[in-house]
Amino acid sequence: MENDRRIGVYICHCGTNIAGTVDIEELTEYARHLPGVVVVRDYKFVCSEPGQNLIKEDIRELGLNRVVVAACSPRMHEPTFRRAVAQAGLNPYLLQIANIREQCSWVHEDGNTDKAKALVNAAAQKAYYLEPRDTREVPVNPSVLVIGGGIAGIQAALKIADATHKVYLVEREPSIGGRMIQLDKTFPTLDCSSCILTPKMASVASHPFVELMTYSEVVDVSGYVGNFRVKIRRNPRYVDESICTGCGICIQKCPWKTDSEFDMGLGKRKAIYTPFPQAVPNIPVIDTETCVYFKKGTCRACELFCEPKAIDFQQTERFEEIEVGAIIVATGYDVFDPSPIYQYGYKRLDNVVTSLEFERMCSATGPTGGEVVLKSGEAPTSVAIIHCVGSRDQNYFEYCSRVCCMYALKFAHLVKEKTEADVYQIYMDMRAYGKGFEEFYRRVSDEGVNFVRGKVAEITDQALTDEERGKLIVACEDTLLGRLVRIPVDMVVLCPAMKARADAAEMARLMNISRGADGFFLERHPKLEPISTNTDGVFVVGCAQGPKDIPDTVAQASAGAAEALALIDAGKVEVEAITAAVNEELCSGCKVCIGLCPYNAITFSEEKKVVEISDVLCKGCGVCVAACPAGAIIGRHFTDTQIFAEIEGILADARPPVAAI
Amino acid sequence: MRSPNGEPRIVGFLCNWCAYQGADLAGTSRMHYPANVRVVRVMCTGRIDPTFVLKAFAEGADGVLVAGCHAGDCHYKEGNYKTMRRVALLRKMLDQMGIEPERFRLEWVSAGEGAKWAKVVKEMTAELQALGPLAWWENVREA
Amino acid sequence: MQVQALALRRNSVDTDGPMVTQVLNPYKEAVDIVKELGGDDLKLCYQCGLCSGLCPWNLVKNFIVRKLIHQVQLGLVDFESDELWMCATCGACVQRCPRGVNIIDIMKALRRTVVELGIAPIPDSMRITLKNVSGTGNPWGEPTERRAKWSEGLNIKTFSAGTEFLYYPCCLICYDPSVTRMGRALTTVLQKAGVDFGILGAQEACCGESVRKAGNEELFQSLVEGNTGVWRANGVKKILVSSPHCYYTLKNEYPLAEQGIEVLHTTELLAKLIREGKLKLTKPIEKKVAYHDPCYLGRHSDIYDEPREILGSIPGLELIELPGNHADSLCCGGGGGRIWMESKVGERFAEVRTQQAIDAGAEVVAVACPYCLLCFESCVQPGMIERAPEIKAIEELVAEAM
Repeated sequence: MENDRRIGVYICHCGTNIAGTVDIEELTEYARHLPGVVVVRDYKFVCSEPGQNLIKEDIRELGLNRVVVAACSPRMHEPTFRRAVAQAGLNPYLLQIANIREQCSWVHEDGNTDKAKALVNAAAQKAYYLEPRDTREVPVNPSVLVIGGGIAGIQAALKIADATHKVYLVEREPSIGGRMIQLDKTFPTLDCSSCILTPKMASVASHPFVELMTYSEVVDVSGYVGNFRVKIRRNPRYVDESICTGCGICIQKCPWKTDSEFDMGLGKRKAIYTPFPQAVPNIPVIDTETCVYFKKGTCRACELFCEPKAIDFQQTERFEEIEVGAIIVATGYDVFDPSPIYQYGYKRLDNVVTSLEFERMCSATGPTGGEVVLKSGEAPTSVAIIHCVGSRDQNYFEYCSRVCCMYALKFAHLVKEKTEADVYQIYMDMRAYGKGFEEFYRRVSDEGVNFVRGKVAEITDQALTDEERGKLIVACEDTLLGRLVRIPVDMVVLCPAMKARADAAEMARLMNISRGADGFFLERHPKLEPISTNTDGVFVVGCAQGPKDIPDTVAQASAGAAEALALIDAGKVEVEAITAAVNEELCSGCKVCIGLCPYNAITFSEEKKVVEISDVLCKGCGVCVAACPAGAIIGRHFTDTQIFAEIEGILADARPPVAAI
Repeated sequence: MRSPNGEPRIVGFLCNWCAYQGADLAGTSRMHYPANVRVVRVMCTGRIDPTFVLKAFAEGADGVLVAGCHAGDCHYKEGNYKTMRRVALLRKMLDQMGIEPERFRLEWVSAGEGAKWAKVVKEMTAELQALGPLAWWENVREA
Repeated sequence: MQVQALALRRNSVDTDGPMVTQVLNPYKEAVDIVKELGGDDLKLCYQCGLCSGLCPWNLVKNFIVRKLIHQVQLGLVDFESDELWMCATCGACVQRCPRGVNIIDIMKALRRTVVELGIAPIPDSMRITLKNVSGTGNPWGEPTERRAKWSEGLNIKTFSAGTEFLYYPCCLICYDPSVTRMGRALTTVLQKAGVDFGILGAQEACCGESVRKAGNEELFQSLVEGNTGVWRANGVKKILVSSPHCYYTLKNEYPLAEQGIEVLHTTELLAKLIREGKLKLTKPIEKKVAYHDPCYLGRHSDIYDEPREILGSIPGLELIELPGNHADSLCCGGGGGRIWMESKVGERFAEVRTQQAIDAGAEVVAVACPYCLLCFESCVQPGMIERAPEIKAIEELVAEAM
C-alpha cells in the first residue's frame, strides 16, 4: 500500500561528538512517537559497516520504506547512506539526513537535545513524503582540461597523459613553468629548480596526449560533470606557431626593450620575447605595448630577419571550444606586494627587495647572473631576511604562508655561499614542519646565521649613529633579549605573503566553485575531500587551494590527476536526479519560468500549450518552482509538500495553540 | 506549546552550496552560537517560495533567516538575485501583516564564512530576544 | 664584523642579579580580573614584539610592551610597577598589531584593576588629579565657578536652547594659562565668521577621557551622566570641541548619538566654513609650517584632511610634513592620563617631535589638540632647544590670517 509509511530512524553517537552534548536516550525515545516511525536505533558510528548493516537488515526484515539518519551533515555521508539503502533494495532517494552534528552538537552550549529532536522530527516528516527517483547516468568525455601550467598543472597533465587520456593544458603566460621556474634553488635539498622542472616542461611539449595552449585563457565553461564545454581564448602571439623554429633571431634583432616580468623588473627583455631561455614552447610573443610596429607602424626588424616568415602582425585572438569530462584548476598564487606596509620601505628604499626578486638575483640566468649585489653593484656585507611580511597579520593575511621560513633559510645559505655577508633572520616563529626541514634549519644555523625573534617595526635609512650611516636599519624588539634593537644592514629581503590570484573571484565564478575566507579556492571537505570542489568534476590543486611548498603541490597535483582519471575511467557518471518537472494539467502556459531558468532547460510546447523541462539540462535549483504562479512545477526531492512537512517538524515544539488560516 | 524557556525559534532556509556549508564550517570549527536556529536545506535560495516563510511564521517561528550565496557566487548563476527581488515583495507583505522587520532576515554567507554564520545567528537571536515572541495567535481577534 | 659584534655586546641584556628559576604558577585570579575589566584581548597576543618596536617610549627609554602583556597573560604582573602607567594610549601599536589586540584596553584594564581593587598605589600625581576631577570637575581642583574665566572680555553668550553650537572647551583651555589662547583664538574666528555659539561654563565638568584611561571607570561614568544631563537640559544639539580627546570620548563613549546630539571638532567646522566661503583667509603667513597629527584626531578618529585643508588655504603658508605623519604620527606624550604625570626632561616624546620639526626646517608647528600644545610648549621654553619652532594652535593661525 502506497501510504503505508514504515520509517526507520538511526541516531548516531559519532563517538562522543554527538553523544557528548545530545541526550541520545531521550532523542531515541522521542523519535519512536513520530508518525510512520516503526523502528529507532542508536549506534556509536552509524556510518561504520555494522552501523550501515543495521539499516540494511531493518529494510529487509522490517520492510522499511523510508530511512532517517540523524548524524553528521548530509554533505559528509549522504552518499554513504544512499549507497547503503540502495544495497538493501530501497530507492536511495527515500533517505533523509538530520544534521545533528555540524549544526547542533558541535555548535551549541545548551538546548542541544531539544534542537536535535526538532531536526529529527523535521527529517522524519520530510521522509514521510519522499518519493523514489531514478538515478541517471550519462557518458563521460574522456579528456581533461588543466588550467595553469605551473608545477601543479604540469604534474597533473603529465599523469593524466601518461594514462593515455587527452589533456588540454591552458596557460595564460607565453610559457609554462609558473612560479617554480622563477626560483633558483629549492629547499630543503637545494637542488636547482629549473634543473628538475625543465625536463617535465619538455615532456609536456612533446607528449602525444597533451595539447598545450599557452598565451591562452579559459573564458567560458558550461555543461556539467563528465560533459563540460569550455571556450578558450588564444591570444595572438603575432608569431605563427606552426612555422616558427624558435631560432631566436627575431629577439636578437629587436631593438626595443622593457622590464622583464619574469625577472621581476630587475632585468630587461625585448618587445618580441620568450620570458626565459628554456621557455616551452620556445616560440616568442610580441608585446604590443612595447613593439614600435604596434605603436607607430615602423621597425619590423623581426619580420625582416625571420627566415621562415613566421612573424604575422595581422594575427588576432581566436576562440576555441573544447569538450572535456573533468577540469583541474591549478592557477597558483600571487605574491603580496608589500608596499602598503609603508614602514618596510619597499619600492621606497633602495636594496629592500622581495623574495621573488631575490630568487631572480640568485639565479644564474637572472639579471645579475646569479650575483647577490646591491643596486650600486657592490656585494652586501650584511643582509636581513624578514619573515611574515603580510602573513600571520590580520591587517593583511591572517594565515601562515607556510613556505617562507624554509626559503628564508635557503636565502641565508645562498647569501653565505655567494657573499661574505652576515645574515640576520628576523622571524616570529620558525616553522620547520616538513620532511627534512628541521635538518635544514640545523644545517643553516651551523653556517652561522643570526636569528632575531621579533616582528619588524620599521626599516629606515635614517641613521642615528655613525655605524648606521649609509645602511638600512631594521628596527624591532628582539623578544628573546627583551630589548629594542636596530640592525644596520646593506640589503633587506622581505618574505611577502602568498595570496590568492587577483582574478580568483572571476575564476571561481567561471568554474562555479567557492572560495574560503582567505580568498583561495575552497575544497569540498578540508580533510577528506581536499581536491574536489562544490562542482562535481572540477578539482583544485596546488597553491590555488592555499599556500604550499613544491612537494605538497606535486602530491596534490598527482592526487588531482587520480581524481580526474577515476572519473573519466568509469566511462559514465550519475547526474543530478533532483530536477524539476511540469504538471501539464496545471500549467497555464504563462511562460514566466522560461526566462528565469539559467540553463535554458524550459521550452514552450506550441502543440500542448504548456512548458516542458529538459531533464538533462535542468540542474534542480528550483527557481522556476518557486516562481510558477499556478504551482504547476514540482521541485523533485524538495517539493512544497515535503518542505512544508519539514517546517512543521522543525517547529513541532513551538506549534501555536490555534491553526493559522 | 511554546518552548519552556521562552527562547525565540528561528527557521533558517539555507542554500546547499554556500550558506549550508558555511553553517557546517561553523560546526567543524566548533564555533559556538545559540541553538535557536533550525535549518531547512534547499538547493538554492531561488527555490524559497514566500509561502515557506509564511508557513514558518504560521507554525510558530519567531524569526526566519534566509541565507544564500553572495552576489555573483550563486551555484546556479543567479538564483540569489531572484531571491533578492522576491524578498523585497515579501518584506512588504510581512509589514502589512504587522510582523516586525527584524523577524525576517536575508544574509549572504559563503561556504568559507562559518564565523559570519555564527555571528548572524547570535545577532538575530539577541534581537528576537529583545523583541519577544511573535505569538500572533494572541493578537488575533475572534471574528 | 668586529664592530658589529661589539655593538651587539653593548646592547645585550642587563640581568638584575643572579638568575633564579621561577616556579611558573599562573595567578589565574589576576588574569581573570584584567580580562573582566576590559583586557580580554590579551589572550590573543602571540608575543611578536611589534608593539614594543612601535611604542614611542622606546625613543626615550625602555618600555617593553610585549613583556608586560606576557606577564599579564600569566598573571605575573607587578601591579606596583610604573610600567602600568606609561602607556599614552597613542594607538600606534594597536593600529598595526597583527593579532588585532587592543593594547590600550589592556593598559586601561590594568589601571582599573589597581584603582578599583586598590591592590597597589596609584602614582601620586594621578591620584591627586583623579581626586580633583571628582571634587571640582577639573584636574587641578580649581574652583568650578572659574571654568568660564578664560572667556572674560570675549562676549561669548551663555548657551540657550536654539543656539546652534555649544562650545565645550577642554579643561586645559579653561584653566591652563598657556593653552587658554586656543579657545580665545577660536572665539575670534567664530565671531568673525558669524557662527552662532554659546558656552555653559561652570555647569559642565571634565569629559573624563583621561579619567577613564587612568582606570577610574566609576568617576568617568558619573562625569558622563553629569555632562549629558546638562546638555540635555539645555537643549544642546551640536557640540563643538577643541580637544580631540573630548571629541573621541564624546563621540564614542558618551550616549550622545542616540539623543541626536552631534559632535564636531573645531578643524571640521573651520574647514567647512572655509569651503563655504564664510571664512576668508586673506592675510599671508609666510612661514614653513609643519602640522602635527594628534593621536586622537588622526589614528583614533581618522581626521587627517581637514587640518591640512585649513592650513593649505592660508596664503603664503608652506605646509610641510614631518617624518611620521597621518596615521604614523608620533605621540606628544600627553594621552592616557600622561598629561597629569611628570615626564622628565629628556624623556618627553614632544622633545623628539620638536627635534624632527627642526630637522624638517619647520618655523611653526601647528597643533590641533590642547594636550599637544601644552606638551610642545613645555619643550620649547627659552634655553631648552636652539632654533625652536613656534608652537601654534590651528585656531591661532586662522585668526592671524583673517
